Amino acid sequence: MNIVVVEDEFLIADMLVVSLEEAGHQVRAAAHGAAALQLIREQTPDLVITDFMMPLMTGLELAEALKADTQLRKLPILLVSGAQGAIARDRQDLFDLVLDKPYRLDTILDAVEQLGGQTKG
Amino acid sequence: MPGLDRILGGGFVEGASYIVQGQPGAGKTILGNQIAFATAQSGRRVLYITLLAETHDRLFQSLSTLSFFDKRHLGEKVTYLSVFQTLSKEGLHAVVSLLRKETKKREASLIVFDGLLNARDQAKTDLDVKTFVAEVQSQAAFAGCTVLFLTSARMEDNSPEHTMVDGVLELHEELVGVRTVRRARVRKSRGSAALGGFHQYEITGEGIALFPRIEAAFGTPSVDDFPDPRPLTTNIEGLDGITGGGLPQGSTTLLVGPSGSGKTSFGINFLAASCAAEPGLLFGFYETPDRILLKAKALGLDLARAIDNGDLEILWQPLTENLLDKLAYRLLDAVSARGVKRLFVDSLGGFERAAVHPPRLVEFFAALTNELRARNVTTVGTWEQRDLFAKEVAAPGPEISSLLDNLIMMRHVEFRSQYRRLLSVLKVRDRSCDAAAQEVIIDGNGLAICGPFEPATGVSTGLAGPLTS
Repeated sequence: MNIVVVEDEFLIADMLVVSLEEAGHQVRAAAHGAAALQLIREQTPDLVITDFMMPLMTGLELAEALKADTQLRKLPILLVSGAQGAIARDRQDLFDLVLDKPYRLDTILDAVEQLGGQTKG
Repeated sequence: MPGLDRILGGGFVEGASYIVQGQPGAGKTILGNQIAFATAQSGRRVLYITLLAETHDRLFQSLSTLSFFDKRHLGEKVTYLSVFQTLSKEGLHAVVSLLRKETKKREASLIVFDGLLNARDQAKTDLDVKTFVAEVQSQAAFAGCTVLFLTSARMEDNSPEHTMVDGVLELHEELVGVRTVRRARVRKSRGSAALGGFHQYEITGEGIALFPRIEAAFGTPSVDDFPDPRPLTTNIEGLDGITGGGLPQGSTTLLVGPSGSGKTSFGINFLAASCAAEPGLLFGFYETPDRILLKAKALGLDLARAIDNGDLEILWQPLTENLLDKLAYRLLDAVSARGVKRLFVDSLGGFERAAVHPPRLVEFFAALTNELRARNVTTVGTWEQRDLFAKEVAAPGPEISSLLDNLIMMRHVEFRSQYRRLLSVLKVRDRSCDAAAQEVIIDGNGLAICGPFEPATGVSTGLAGPLTS
């Protein structure tokens, strides 16, 4: 799968990218929503994994921007958040799945498989 | 944080920038977050910026044990952003521009920048750091936003960062003997009169609490002193008569004596006269409140009722690892809360034991007793004498004794194969007193003085003998 990871915290971004690559995915990373939007527009991925609290453009704002774009509207979005899980769960229109931090690696890999399956189905 | 505001001379100045420095474990991150949440609590917004440090959710986990941490503010009033990737890919200038945009977007009134040391590593020259700090603070000042730079670097007074910011707060942890002592110090404070020197702080489940040194915070008493010459009854039978009617109001009495000579009983008698007009306080280090009540009962004095109707309070602080100034604030706060007029401190040695730097005790007691006098509190403080029968009277050092208005000595004396208790009034402020040794009786009717001890020799040595003609 072609995945864009959006995360301002380097340690988490790094770990996510490595594990997803090891699971056989192609991954591009962005440190905030604005940079992610640019990456996504350059080449549409199969899935976006985003953090919530980030500089310049939050995960929520990114999701809103994607839903407002007719070409990207159907792009599945997985939100991982330490504190805003509840806010995000109220916006089912924006996020396909919400995971709380801290999470286990296999949880997120399972979630990626699940969302990947949905897109294909 | 009232203690911090006090040593900063009123708090952080809006739109100003500060460095908070201290070695790892000194509590910088707790302080940064505590201030962040206090700001959020007052309805304003905060940007908490990190570089390469623990992840935010690990930070939240460790903060979640602290009472000020309120998850509801996360992402709403307090936003945590990591700028490490921006810094490593695009440099210091990009971080400055990111901070400007975020401050505006979130209408932040406080930026906490956790990890200035890392930004320093990224800088090629001192000038880069200086420019970075200058840019961050000038754009924040335009937005009326206060900036706290947290760093574990030990920066000297002439470091570029220090010369730029408005203030520097240093958090310091060290070992004194076997105990850990945490001390804070304002090293620089532009635009406000800071309280210099070290001030102890502690980190508890409520975060950081800082206790400005009493002698610095109360250099002069907080209220004007209007001495009241009228005496306050000691409530001890026979004692008012030899002290000119009682203890002068607003005076401080030192009660010296060995263990078992009746000092605590003296205090219980004194406090048994507590009433709505003269609220009492027992500030003790030895007996728990329940034990004091039992002791009072044995003396035929009912303190429980006075406690129930609010005329008396017993505060017990175990004689363990105490913070000297914290004890003093606890005492002064309890005095203010109920307008205490009768205070019994058992004993002043409890303060002495808490002193990490004993030479300051003279100034400490001077400030504390001045404050109590100005608040018109009549204080009786005990001082334990080492030996049960002693030739020497071990009073606190002469500097401390001279701060006290009245001096009463209690002793055991062996006379004709009997142990007797004596009390001598050695000094009463502005008044002549009968200094003759008085015999003390402690029984089910409280402590009482039953007249001068029979003429004998060697009374002050503890081993008395009949007069020989």
